[in-house]
Amino acid sequence: MTTKQFIISAWNWNPWVIAICAATIIFYFARQRSPSRLKTGWLLAGTAIFFFTLASPIDALADGYLFSAHMLQHLLLLLVVPPLILLSLTPRTVPDCLQNGRWQPASKILRQPMATWLLGVGGMWIWHAPALCNAAVTNAWIHRLQYVSLLFMGFAFWWPIIGPWAKQRLSPLAGIIYLFSACIGCTILGIIITFSPVEVCTIYLHPMDMLGILPLIQEQWGLTPAKDQQLGGLLMWVPACLIYFCGILRLFFRWHGEQTDKAIDPASPFQIPLSGVPYEH
Amino acid sequence: MSKTALAFVAIETPSAISAPRGLYSWVATVDHKRIGILYLLTALVFFAAGGVEALLMRIQLARPNNTFLSPDAYDQIFTMHGTTMIFLVVMPTLIGLANYLVPLMIGARDMAFPRLNALSYWLLPCGGLLLHFSLLAGGAPAVGWFSYAPLSEPAYASTQGIDYWVLSLLILGIGSVAASINLIATILTLRAPGLTIRRLPLFVWMVFVNSFLIILALPVLNSAIVMLFIDRHLGTHFFVPSHGGSAVLWQHFFWAFGHPEVYIMALPAFGIISEVIPVFSRRPIFGYEFVAASTVAIGLLSFGIWAHHMFAVGLGRPVDLFFAASSMLIAVPTGVKIFNWSATLWGGAIRLNTAMRFAVAFLIQFTIGGLSGVTFAVVPIDWQVTGTYYLVAHFHYVLFGGTFFAVFAGLYYWFPKMTGRMLSERLGKLNFWMALIGFNTAFFVQHFLGLMGMPRRVYTYPDLPGWGLLNFISTIGAFLLGASVLVLLWNIVVSLRRGQPAGENPWQAWTLEWATTSPPPAHNFDRVPPIRSRRPLWDLAHPENPDPLVGGSTSRDEFVLDKNRVGMASFLASESAFFLMLVLAYLFYNSQPLSGPSSANTLSPLKTGIYTLCLIASSLTFWLAEKKLAAKNFFAFRRLLALTILLGTVFVLGQGLEYLHLFRAGVMVNSNLFATTFFTLTGFHGLHMCIGLVALLIVLGLSLAGDFNQGRIEAVKSVGLYWHFVDAVWLVVFSVVYLRPLL
Repeated sequence: MTTKQFIISAWNWNPWVIAICAATIIFYFARQRSPSRLKTGWLLAGTAIFFFTLASPIDALADGYLFSAHMLQHLLLLLVVPPLILLSLTPRTVPDCLQNGRWQPASKILRQPMATWLLGVGGMWIWHAPALCNAAVTNAWIHRLQYVSLLFMGFAFWWPIIGPWAKQRLSPLAGIIYLFSACIGCTILGIIITFSPVEVCTIYLHPMDMLGILPLIQEQWGLTPAKDQQLGGLLMWVPACLIYFCGILRLFFRWHGEQTDKAIDPASPFQIPLSGVPYEH
Repeated sequence: MSKTALAFVAIETPSAISAPRGLYSWVATVDHKRIGILYLLTALVFFAAGGVEALLMRIQLARPNNTFLSPDAYDQIFTMHGTTMIFLVVMPTLIGLANYLVPLMIGARDMAFPRLNALSYWLLPCGGLLLHFSLLAGGAPAVGWFSYAPLSEPAYASTQGIDYWVLSLLILGIGSVAASINLIATILTLRAPGLTIRRLPLFVWMVFVNSFLIILALPVLNSAIVMLFIDRHLGTHFFVPSHGGSAVLWQHFFWAFGHPEVYIMALPAFGIISEVIPVFSRRPIFGYEFVAASTVAIGLLSFGIWAHHMFAVGLGRPVDLFFAASSMLIAVPTGVKIFNWSATLWGGAIRLNTAMRFAVAFLIQFTIGGLSGVTFAVVPIDWQVTGTYYLVAHFHYVLFGGTFFAVFAGLYYWFPKMTGRMLSERLGKLNFWMALIGFNTAFFVQHFLGLMGMPRRVYTYPDLPGWGLLNFISTIGAFLLGASVLVLLWNIVVSLRRGQPAGENPWQAWTLEWATTSPPPAHNFDRVPPIRSRRPLWDLAHPENPDPLVGGSTSRDEFVLDKNRVGMASFLASESAFFLMLVLAYLFYNSQPLSGPSSANTLSPLKTGIYTLCLIASSLTFWLAEKKLAAKNFFAFRRLLALTILLGTVFVLGQGLEYLHLFRAGVMVNSNLFATTFFTLTGFHGLHMCIGLVALLIVLGLSLAGDFNQGRIEAVKSVGLYWHFVDAVWLVVFSVVYLRPLL
């Protein structure tokens, strides 16, 4: 099989994935009658990437062949799809039950930045425990659980940064620390995976070649298991951090763009400077 | 002139707090201005030393096959030159300037922790003397400022030079971290009312970001040199490949520090330029938000691109690929800055005095250095030129043509504020042109030498066509550059005596340091002018045409933080970086089964688990103790505190018993890499435990003396944070060392 043949043939038209995409779009436009073009763009981008992650040849490669393809899926589901969807939301589009009602406990977690941070960074780490990583490849149900949990952890993680309600967002400086420490969290794991002499996911060492593409991957693409793992680690290390980094820049510019709501009265001119003790309001 | 401006002029002169005089008053000072000046003077002394070393090297290299210096002497001098310039000149100069200016620029009376400030300064001369003492103790270090292993191991570096190098860098690193913690706490908690983060002068912004770089990057170096020291003195093999260690790990550790360090030496220089260029172009900086944001961007990216220093090591194609991309990426925010400075100049009413001349030269030279820097991100080019003088030319364009020129600009700009007298413009002009011509003559030709293949770090070179001539030109340039520094010194001496009086604001600048006398009184300000934009003094002088209001007093802008908490939190962030490196080293060496003792066959997770429970309990009891203290139940507080100390002691004793058990079984720190990393990691944790216990005992003593009865309980809270942190670190260590093999 050549690369071209593989890319054309390896799409999987999973009805669940298509149904979720369709449901998301229908639901969104049902709640939000005339969304802005930008918001629509975010929504469509998020949905398209979600579809691409789970239906394109990446999914075929992640299914036992390449650790790096699995990592790409992992990152897209945790760090790209949720923030794109969140960006498309307005307070209108969010079900009321998240604000007050049956889902009160869930929305409480969303208001605890420590908890959401742990979910977001934990999402990176937990599924790379060797046992879980292997189980997710061999057992279809665990595999689905992995996808769903990644999406949920991603939504929780990004909620305090770009959630639909401005009130529930972190202050800019706290948000920068939140994202920077998350970046360190995934950098550490990325470094360990990149330079670790042992395999994280042993299942990827000896793929069961159901599609007959192993020669293509290992010989034509030159992706030996060692290189594959290094690539996976690097994906988590460098591009993942750049996503957090974009979040930081966004926070920064939103902060600087914020308009005055109450001016300090310039009529009270000279003030006593501070000396070693924080001033009281 | 309007009423406001008159009110500003009519402000009464500072009440007479007579400044103490004499040498002792300088030794004992805790005034941030005096400490700042001490930093600058100390850096000047070491600058002379480093400069002479540079000239000695240039004499040796003036012609081919020269014998002026022996190979060993050359190695020592070139190691000392690099180490001195980076740790004893550039960093102290920038920290010293920040020390002097930050409290003035934010309208505060001093740093957040004045005594800590004095300590950070005094660690500098101590570290510097320790490094130079190696000259008397058998020879200076001779392995380059990067001390690549295994060259720095006892087998190859048999004198004690490296040991002095390690100790000195450790002391200097602690001093820099302390100074940065202080700066962070100062900027976050002591800003004058109305000076929100969004209105900060850009110099303060950059010092702020820079301080985070320092507290996170220096511990990485500290952990690496501590391991090197253990290698050299306890016979272990962290970095000795022949015994299972990894020399590449040293390079990773060193450059994980070393690359942020490059930006540590550049960001405050960017800050200086961002102050000087607008003032002498007579317009506000173009795109304040972009300059500030690109600083944050540079700060974050700088931690993720160190591997481009190691392309020649052979890390594999995927690694090279990613780091080439991320290294090119960091050129973007740097380019944004260059663009903003140029756009500020564009259409401005430029006053081309000495400070401005240096700033403009900085712009051009730093751009050249930046562009040659981008070429190193291209892996094949890097392989070709990384070991040549092309790289020497590159980083001197960044560090001398960039940072030093910015420092000179800053010196001409702020000297009037520091001394009350102007530097002579006539001598300044001479100084500038000599420095400009000297610098470019010395270093531009080195690009060609490098491309022709002349290797760096080598004491001489063969007589190949053109090499002798270009090197000779370079040496002449170096001497001209040296002479220009003498002109600067002469200018300072002359101007101190006969310089024109400066007055409060000789440049009609806009930031707060110009709102007080020159030099400022010991308490800096009686009153700070109102602040509603980024240029408070402009608003004051032009009430009819003030700057637009920036931000407001929103809750997002005006947050109140406790300086003790901020200080302790920054310290703990720094400590986390240190422990992180130790944990990574442990994981690195223990991920594959080693022969000899290992975690699985020597340690007992159950026994240590019980001691761990004691430790967790101690965190709990301390938490309860704090609650009792808040409720003013002092007796219960002391009882719970004593219980905390008891539980902590049980844990430390438990660790001691474990060590004893290992020693009896013949497991020593140099048995194998498991033992080495185990003892290093748990040993440093144990050391922190002991420090925590001492701190708790002090708190107990203070409490017995009735110190907290008045409700001033900051010390308890800070010690509490530290104690919880040490416990949290142990939970990580316990899971990594004891629980991981059980998985």
